[in-house]
Amino acid sequence: MIDFINFYLFPGLAIGSVYALGAVGISMIFGILRFAHFAHGDLMTVGTYGVLAAAGIIAINPLLLVPFGMALAIVVALLVDKVFYQPLRTLPTIYTVISSFGVALIFRSLVQMFWGSQNQVFNSGGVRPPLVLFDTFRISVLHVQAVLATACIAVALHFFLSRTRTGRSMRAVSDDPELAEVSGLDTEKVVRWTWIIGAALAAIAGLFVAMDTSAHPNLGWNLLMPMFAAAILGGIGKPMGAMAGGYIIGLAEELSSYHWIGNEALISPSYKTAVAFVVMIALLIVRPQGLFKGRLL
Amino acid sequence: MRKSIMLVAASALLCSSALAQAADTKVGILMDITGPIANFIPPLQNAANLAVKQVNDQGGLLDGNAVAVYGDTTGTSQGAVDAAQKLANVENVPIVMGALMSGTTIAAAEAVFIPTGIVQLSPTATSPAMTDMKDNDLVYRIVPSDNFQGDVLAKMVLDEGINKVAVTYVNNDYGVGIGQTFMDAYRAAGGEVVAEVKHEEKKDSYRSELASLTQGGAEALVVVAYAGDSGGKIVKQAIEGGLFTRFVGTDGLRDDLLIQNVGAEALKTSFFSSPTSPADNPAQTTLHAAFNAEYGEGADKAFVDQTYDATFLTMLAIEKAGSADRAKLAAALREVASAPGEKVGPGEWSKAKQLISEGKDIDYDGAGGTYEFDANGDVRGYVGKFVVDGSSYKQIAVFE
Repeated sequence: MIDFINFYLFPGLAIGSVYALGAVGISMIFGILRFAHFAHGDLMTVGTYGVLAAAGIIAINPLLLVPFGMALAIVVALLVDKVFYQPLRTLPTIYTVISSFGVALIFRSLVQMFWGSQNQVFNSGGVRPPLVLFDTFRISVLHVQAVLATACIAVALHFFLSRTRTGRSMRAVSDDPELAEVSGLDTEKVVRWTWIIGAALAAIAGLFVAMDTSAHPNLGWNLLMPMFAAAILGGIGKPMGAMAGGYIIGLAEELSSYHWIGNEALISPSYKTAVAFVVMIALLIVRPQGLFKGRLL
Repeated sequence: MRKSIMLVAASALLCSSALAQAADTKVGILMDITGPIANFIPPLQNAANLAVKQVNDQGGLLDGNAVAVYGDTTGTSQGAVDAAQKLANVENVPIVMGALMSGTTIAAAEAVFIPTGIVQLSPTATSPAMTDMKDNDLVYRIVPSDNFQGDVLAKMVLDEGINKVAVTYVNNDYGVGIGQTFMDAYRAAGGEVVAEVKHEEKKDSYRSELASLTQGGAEALVVVAYAGDSGGKIVKQAIEGGLFTRFVGTDGLRDDLLIQNVGAEALKTSFFSSPTSPADNPAQTTLHAAFNAEYGEGADKAFVDQTYDATFLTMLAIEKAGSADRAKLAAALREVASAPGEKVGPGEWSKAKQLISEGKDIDYDGAGGTYEFDANGDVRGYVGKFVVDGSSYKQIAVFE
């Protein structure tokens, strides 16, 4: 039981937080701009390296430097939207999707050019002793921070979307863009906010992964598929759904290899990636609009 | 009128590129520049560039200069095939040095280089699967197969008095190859493998794998994976979770990145196996002096010797064949690498060029070994035992 909490439940929640933060952006972009943003993983990488660059100059806990990563990711996202996505907005969305593939490659190559292709460890890296509670629970401090940060972000995001004017117009555009536009909502402003939120959360998620392991140019790309699974599972255009989806995917991956019956792992850990997708497919068969009644595509 | 100008321009372009090709000879270099072994690469690119530079400084290749053309496999099979296609069909190289990982080397060979008849010489691919590959005598390597490293590693572990181990290996040609040979040899020699988990790359948490591995009370964890990907994460998470304190790694894990990742202190009882060069080899001293003179440092990094030697050998083979004709290069490579013949070492290009032009047979003995290819294109070699020393590794024993 102790093993279950230490090695399955908490790592599952931690990776779930990362998926959740990434999936929110994907889901919102999918809902508001109506295209699958394949460069989102690499946007995450860009944000992570922004923090890494700051950490090279300022020697404090990298978590405190996250604003630098968020700022870099936001600037880059807005720039890319202006240059690559906006001109294609009136064309069928497939053009934008393919274009986002290209942008993903550009991001990765730029990261390689500026920071090199090797793995990089944060200065404060190395082995961080885990938090030991009651002599039995050994939980990584970073994992606790990731879960708490995600919870705070979820609450803040919920209030932003339900209470502020901008948040409500975002939901309106997501539900019916034509109607939103004729009712006089500023769609460009909504688009801008979508990028700002998506990019900022991606940078935070990337930082957690990089601090847990190490930073490398393929960091975000490797996480893209589970994040998409989470976004689709939660329901397209539903940020809270994406959050829930992220945790479900993360927990499904980790918990499926627990030895539920007997002493052997239920499913060999080498198949845990597949488990996440089986869960997604099974749920979509039962509930095609996703957990939180997202838009059917 | 306009059409004819275009034609003239096009034919001029064709002529000029034909001229350039007659003068310079391209050498394909396929490396895993991004991906799990990215941290190994910068000194290895220097090693390959040094070989090319020395050739060009000392008379050049054939009638012109040697030009290194790089391809990046991205550390994946698909990327390896893409990069290999480009080298074979766009750059039209006669011979290829690389790749470094077993999986990418095999993928590039099977999908591209064997069908197009290009000789491929890998400095570091160790998978046993390459030995019996149907390759029309086109795929060579200058490191010993993991059948050998696995055997030696089993011996090292038992010599340390470790009789119960847990084993985890990455699910690719490299990991499965060396993992299986290690376990077979270890069991045959009386050791007990109490837990065994095959894992996938590119995950962020390996804690569930580690939890399975702790079942059975192993004295040490054998990790066959790359430090830049799963291997480093597994060691770090095992230490953080207090699950294992002693690790045994192979060449993929013997990466300075691992020490950066978990600190030297945590690895003080761990040891690593890696293909290495024979002790007290004058050829190695020569190469290291030249390397450090050119780049300042890094000559002692893993696989610098092998990468330099492989690059040098590919160019010797072209010189020996007298042209960039793909069909002649396999035989030429065997001739320049194997005895008998006049000995040539690292950096001795002008001597080799002279001997070849006189029609004499040469035998390249490199920094990493003497490289006598057997019928499968494999070599016998040396495996060293390494321990952590400060921020890098130090060799404490060599097995032949």
